Amino acid sequence: MKAFFDKLYNALRSVKLAVVLLVLLALFAIAGGIIPQGKAASYYIEHFSGAGSRIILALALDHVFSSFLFLLVSAIFAINLTVCTFHRLTNELFKPREKRRHGPDLLHIGLIILLFGGILTSRSRTETFINLRKGDSARLPGGAKIVLVDLKYEQYPDGRPKSWESTVAIDKNPPPEASAPVLTHEEEGGDTLGTTGFADPTLNNSLSSAKASSSEPATSSAAPAAPAISAETGAGPGLPSSPAPSTPIAELPQYRIRVNTPLRLKGYSIYQQNWHTEKQVVLRDAMGMQFFLEPGMRETTKDGFVLFMALDTSQGAGGAAAVAVAAAPAVAAAPSAIFLLEQNGKRTVVKAAPGEKIGSFTFSGYIDQPVSGLAVVSDKGYPFVAAGFILVILGVFITYIRKLKGILA
Amino acid sequence: MIATIAFGLLLLSLVIQIVFLFKKEGGQDGISPWLSLAAGILLLVEIVRRSIAIRFVALTGMFESLIFLACFLALLIFALRYFKSAKGNRVIPFGATIIAVIFLALASSPLAPSDIKPPIPALQSGWLVLHVSFTFIGEVFFAVGFVSAILQLVSKDEEKRRSYDRITYTSIAVGYPIFTAGALIFGAIWAEKAWGVWWSWDPKETWALITWLTYTAYLHFRLVRKSTSKLVPALVIIGFVIAMFTFFGVNFLLKGLHSYA
Ligand code: HEM
Repeated sequence: MKAFFDKLYNALRSVKLAVVLLVLLALFAIAGGIIPQGKAASYYIEHFSGAGSRIILALALDHVFSSFLFLLVSAIFAINLTVCTFHRLTNELFKPREKRRHGPDLLHIGLIILLFGGILTSRSRTETFINLRKGDSARLPGGAKIVLVDLKYEQYPDGRPKSWESTVAIDKNPPPEASAPVLTHEEEGGDTLGTTGFADPTLNNSLSSAKASSSEPATSSAAPAAPAISAETGAGPGLPSSPAPSTPIAELPQYRIRVNTPLRLKGYSIYQQNWHTEKQVVLRDAMGMQFFLEPGMRETTKDGFVLFMALDTSQGAGGAAAVAVAAAPAVAAAPSAIFLLEQNGKRTVVKAAPGEKIGSFTFSGYIDQPVSGLAVVSDKGYPFVAAGFILVILGVFITYIRKLKGILA
Repeated sequence: MIATIAFGLLLLSLVIQIVFLFKKEGGQDGISPWLSLAAGILLLVEIVRRSIAIRFVALTGMFESLIFLACFLALLIFALRYFKSAKGNRVIPFGATIIAVIFLALASSPLAPSDIKPPIPALQSGWLVLHVSFTFIGEVFFAVGFVSAILQLVSKDEEKRRSYDRITYTSIAVGYPIFTAGALIFGAIWAEKAWGVWWSWDPKETWALITWLTYTAYLHFRLVRKSTSKLVPALVIIGFVIAMFTFFGVNFLLKGLHSYA
């Protein structure tokens, strides 16, 4: 029995096995590097010969890195690495101090920790994307609230992006929500403006002050005022705003998020992922007040609502598709838009061009609203990965600096 | 313009080396290492000039990558004369000069537009600079290892083979830690900071991993095999071919996150 275990131990710590496994792993990676991954079976049948596509599908080479075979070889490799690291480390510790060389030990232990971190990442990493306009807020994992206070976009003269930067405020203990919308609009400093995503214009004062600010012509401001009234995208009249006051945004801690400079919070990080603009329609009521609606949003009226459904792309003007990235939004001439109009319980679909009337509103045009794309990532594996990185770098340099001293001396 | 002069110097160096290769006796000529040094310094000047123009380390496009590779390879060719095991060897600097000339020839091709462009937000990162520069410096040593491994494979003389094995191993022993830090670790740290994901199996990452696994296999294989085995240098040759495929092939043949480079 002991002989068997000795044999097994020796096999598992063998460097020859390590070489075979390294070559196998490299071959798997080559397959994954050449064969497009994660396509439908029909893709491979179409693009590869009969035998080729059969091999690909039989060996799961269409999703190499999550295939059973690859994971099996990786597992054996991890065992091989662990056993041989243990073996070498114990051997080394029996040597007189001045003869010990711990470079390879550090390196191999670093790799084990890295592998462990990698497994943890692949099992537990979560990623959520949120798109926020200035003034928007969203719930973060764990219940905190994020508000986009400001967003800046800079371009090089040739039009390529130079920098994207979001300034956000984080409310760690926001008041509980009456409903839990994914995303809501808020006015800076406005306290109770519809955390439910819907507010009745008659409900409170902060709303009217918000309205006043948003009635300025949007073209004159560098960054657009947030839409004063947000509307639900779902059907039904929505709920009145939550009565619990939240901390004014000015009193919340604010952070800047830039590409390559994520915001690290407890348990997750927030990354500036991308930047785009979104076309919103601008509606004006009889008083000259402006309302901004993104597709799917609606604005209530006395006798019903107006819902902006979509841009009318059938005209082929390209206006809808070619949404220009602009630092400052501008009301632009563009194609017609399609609205759903409800008046006294009767619904009609209306197509309107800028300048035309929709119910009690005038459709005055479009605005390109900049939207900040943020990714909220939680990765419990990364701290281990980072520790592994440090050990691997230390180990590999210590190993070879010692060796090269010997070679070059 | 500066790169073109450097190209001319390396071509001249190549011609001189060819002439000396035909001479039966003697070691390396006395001129070509200095031409190499001059070319390396000129290319360094060009990199600094471009960096000042964009106020960032100019290392983010194909052209800049190629002149960086050629620059450090030219400097290494000069330095070879100071290493005991490579001193006086004529063939290794010759092979390495050919590779440097190929890099610069590619840099002047339409595949690598040379206009100076400041970097987009994702590329404005110190980790990216470390990632790219360490990877390329590691690969420059792999290039010398590649030449030496070919000589190791083709030479019939046991003594010569041993001596080439030493040079091959030394090159990889210097290049491997630098490449490991640059290609894998700094790259992953940059990806985490920029995208929030430290590894995503994108083609460039996958091919960099294959390169690294190949050299790792070489180092372990060498531990268990006799230094005269032919398979050992073969892995170094394959490793460099894969490294070059990672650099060129992935950009032009396969698309991924890295396809801007
Ligand atoms: C990706 C995984 C691995 C990496 C990156 C790695 C890296 C290294 C490096 C750089 C060295 C120094 C080699 C030299 O002398 O030039 C080394 C040595 C060594 N490795 Fe690994 N290794 C890995 C996996 C393994 C595995 C699975 C084994 C199990 C058998 C192993 C066993 C050894 C041994 C026994 C040495 C010799 C140490 C000495 O010089 O005393 N390695 N490794």
